[in-house]
Amino acid sequence: MLEKMFNADSVAVIGASRTEGKVGNSVLKNLVNDFDGDIVPINPNSEEIMGLKCYPDILDVPDNIDLAVIVIPARFVPETIDKCGRAGVKSVIVISAGFKEAGIEGAKLERESVETARKYGIRMLGPNCLGLIDTTSNLNASFASFMAHKGNIGLMSQSGAICTSTLDWADKNRVGFSKFISLGNKADLSENDFLQELCNDDSTAVIAAYLEGVKNGHEFIDIARRVTGVKPVVMVKSGRTSAGSRAVSSHTGTLAGSDEAYNAAFRQSGIIRADSLQEMLDYIRAFSSQPVPKGRNMAILTNAGGFGILTADACYNEGLSLASFDESTIRTLRENLPPNSNLYNPVDLLGDAGSDLYAFAIDVLLEDPHVDGIIILTSPQAMTEVDKVAEIVADKVKTSIKPILCSFVGGTQVSEGEKILNDYSIPNYPFPERAVASMRALSTYNNIRKQSYTKPPEITADKKTVKSVIDEASQSKRLSLGLESLDILRAYDIPTVKTKIVKNLKEAIKACKQIGYPVVMKIVSPDISHKTDVGGVRLNLKNADDVERAYHTMMADVYRYMPDADITGVQVQEMVSGGKEVIIGMNQDVQFGPLLMFGMGGIYVELLKDVSFNVAPINRDEAKHMISSIKTYPILAGIRGEKPYDINSVADTLIKISQLVNDFPQILELDINPLIVLPDNQGCVAMDLRLTLREEE
Amino acid sequence: MVSILISSSEEYSGKSGLCNGLGRILKDRGYSIGYMKPIGNLLIDKDGFLTDEDAEESRTLLGLDDSLSDITPILQTENLIHDALMGVEKRFDKTLTDAYSNISRNRDIVFIEGSGGIGSGAMYNLSDPEIASILGSKILLVTRYDSIYAIDRILCDLKLVPDSDMVAGVILNEVPESNLEKVSELVIPYLERKGIKVFGVIPQDITLRSVPISDIVDDLNAEVLTGADNLNTLVERYLVGAMEVNSAIKYFRRVPNCAVITGGDRSDIQLAAIEAKAKCLVLTGNLRPSEAVLGSAEEANIPVILVRGDTMSTIKRMESLIGRARIKQELKIEKMMELINNNVDVDNFIKSIGL
Repeated sequence: MLEKMFNADSVAVIGASRTEGKVGNSVLKNLVNDFDGDIVPINPNSEEIMGLKCYPDILDVPDNIDLAVIVIPARFVPETIDKCGRAGVKSVIVISAGFKEAGIEGAKLERESVETARKYGIRMLGPNCLGLIDTTSNLNASFASFMAHKGNIGLMSQSGAICTSTLDWADKNRVGFSKFISLGNKADLSENDFLQELCNDDSTAVIAAYLEGVKNGHEFIDIARRVTGVKPVVMVKSGRTSAGSRAVSSHTGTLAGSDEAYNAAFRQSGIIRADSLQEMLDYIRAFSSQPVPKGRNMAILTNAGGFGILTADACYNEGLSLASFDESTIRTLRENLPPNSNLYNPVDLLGDAGSDLYAFAIDVLLEDPHVDGIIILTSPQAMTEVDKVAEIVADKVKTSIKPILCSFVGGTQVSEGEKILNDYSIPNYPFPERAVASMRALSTYNNIRKQSYTKPPEITADKKTVKSVIDEASQSKRLSLGLESLDILRAYDIPTVKTKIVKNLKEAIKACKQIGYPVVMKIVSPDISHKTDVGGVRLNLKNADDVERAYHTMMADVYRYMPDADITGVQVQEMVSGGKEVIIGMNQDVQFGPLLMFGMGGIYVELLKDVSFNVAPINRDEAKHMISSIKTYPILAGIRGEKPYDINSVADTLIKISQLVNDFPQILELDINPLIVLPDNQGCVAMDLRLTLREEE
Repeated sequence: MVSILISSSEEYSGKSGLCNGLGRILKDRGYSIGYMKPIGNLLIDKDGFLTDEDAEESRTLLGLDDSLSDITPILQTENLIHDALMGVEKRFDKTLTDAYSNISRNRDIVFIEGSGGIGSGAMYNLSDPEIASILGSKILLVTRYDSIYAIDRILCDLKLVPDSDMVAGVILNEVPESNLEKVSELVIPYLERKGIKVFGVIPQDITLRSVPISDIVDDLNAEVLTGADNLNTLVERYLVGAMEVNSAIKYFRRVPNCAVITGGDRSDIQLAAIEAKAKCLVLTGNLRPSEAVLGSAEEANIPVILVRGDTMSTIKRMESLIGRARIKQELKIEKMMELINNNVDVDNFIKSIGL
């Protein structure tokens, strides 16, 4: 789709300049340095720049232009894109700044630019970006200070400065890229387009991205799910904390989005999330140079006991196991290593180990069927031949089908080894923990690529009832609904508590008799959301006398706490006992749409924050994962001989809610709090419901 | 010619709305209408002339050409209060009857609006019942029905009227949706058994409580940063954005037609408000928002206004603005007429004042 953007035969630079230091000069120079195709500078004030014929206007160029790089002031950009359209250009890169990031006028210009581009079917990268680099076609359509090395990493970044720094870091560490894309304001082309593009690109083995937000969350998950089945995707998403998200907002004019939603979306779509730029670069170097392990069992090879222990700890923390070696492995090691060496994992060759010993041990460990990957540690001790060890590692990596990651720890003395490894594009991690984290990323991808995604089951529901409840509320301009709308749950076959809403005491007593004692009584008011806080809940009422007393005192309490609240009545419901309280919630996330939440109920829920999230729609596996991934899951599964609770019915309810909120996107927020889970095979009951509807336009 | 004094149990109960609403309805039916607010207590400067804000607005809304000094002959100035306290004799009844005879000339009905509650003006011997006695008007009592205690107020207020024949009846205003049934089943029969005519029960209406953004701009002396074309939009509630951004989105979404007050440096909250389709962003502390946020607000067509005051003082001003909004837009007066036509027995009212 973006073939002509990356693989253009002819490139025009609109705003090309002969003046050193100008962006239009840098872009042209980069093209002239590396690009083999036609380069056409456009500038009305020059006839020739860098020996190339210069045209005053793109419309004056007689030949066909595939890609136009625009580096002129923002206010001229929409008009220029229009000219590009008339000239038949299909791809443009707008490097110029001064668009949405610069305020109201800029936002207008950005809108106009996109509209103009769409009119002509032009795809646009940027504005406000560094440009792009394709090392396969030798295209450097950017104002970066040099060309990237050739490699197999496809990287995109929403920050131009992160592009520049990464290029510089990569130059020093001999890391190469297939494609390098600065996304800018993402007015037209966004991460979704480039994810697909990089997925289809044979020269890209691993995809990396630095993002501050995604443009279309739903599409993002769909695309990423497909891409991660083909090649690994590692991303950093910044703006995770309240301070960071505020910085994103003021920088880009978009919301950073909730971090829970990003975690869920990344996990569900198989993206490996890096917590920092350093982590991302660590991981992609591993992916770029190493095969993916078949399992999580690692061998640690070291010449120092302390590093062996540190690495063993790190493996445990990252969820990797230390492989239990095959008998023959141990035998061979015993026969050949010095007497005091540690033969079990971590294998300690001792401080005086020479490079031959490393070579021997690496071969033995790679042979062991129980070993999925090796982490090699080297401390520069008196006898250590750092450079030779590096050569040996490089040699073994060439043929190994198992990943080998290195951590040569030190400074001046290990730098020679590190340089050799870099020359072979093998990462050296300055500390073992980073090697382990990168190994974990490789191993995680092994699970991701094996996963197959099943679509959520289709649930038949009485949508008509839901629609009528929602329509009625919208017509009377009620956005917050409560228990009176339990029919919505019933329509999706979710068991609900027996309940009745009444207006006065007389009706309340009648309703209690119908429902059967003991009962619970709650206040009903559009102004009160936390009923317990204002004394609006009375439990375990056993007879009419209890109900009468409870009614009067509840009314008095509520009036005392909230004298202005509009009380519409009370709700009586059956007491359900013998179950555990859990919460199911949904909130329409700004980027990803319906975000489901599951957690343990009760009064400590807000303190413990023991909840899990998934983006809807979810399938049964995802529903079960949501339930089992909370810390207090053992309480539901049956702790210390207690009977388990009916987890299957909770999974059913999650799937039904997932479908409900997908069927009715006008539901912005929904909470079933609590859902009482009864012992195994007895189901669950929704005790309360709260939802917020979208205001009709 | 008849006259009706619209009195009330408390301030901000809807006297102006009823005067103008009923006035327009009767005008449409072909009656010739007059209006007075004898005591001006909301002083404004109109073209170099001191008068009352209600008086000026009603004159415009009802399309009257009477002089403002006849519409509001007495202004509650500091001098007036001082003289009253010193016991200076003023002969206000003469001032009043003179003005009234000008206003009522060639008119079928004159609406007389009380100032404040039924007892306001008592220190000049000009409480609502006293004015009604001087001018021979009947009294229509408007009471905001906020709780069952409204009944106590009605009964007590009517005891201030010396002659029960002077009372035309009452209108219950701003009755919450949840109380409508109770009011019609229990409260009205109760009042009627006491011989009090209830002309109507007007339910709470959010449009009438709302204010246009332009009023907020004027009142807060705000600078409009973007969205100047949208200042006619009505705001029903205000919310304060001081929480974490994800909670803010949920909070803002629950309230339709709201203005969000937040600091100019809270770009995350500002975008949450835009996302939740708030009607207006009020930024405090004279801190200009980031350009990127302004760009987003402009795209979403949401006015952003900047005020000097801090959040606390801005909230105070907003509080006094919303819910005490005045009926000066055509939209609101039409809404008021609709409410009266649907909920007030206008024919019975006309009959009972002898029109």
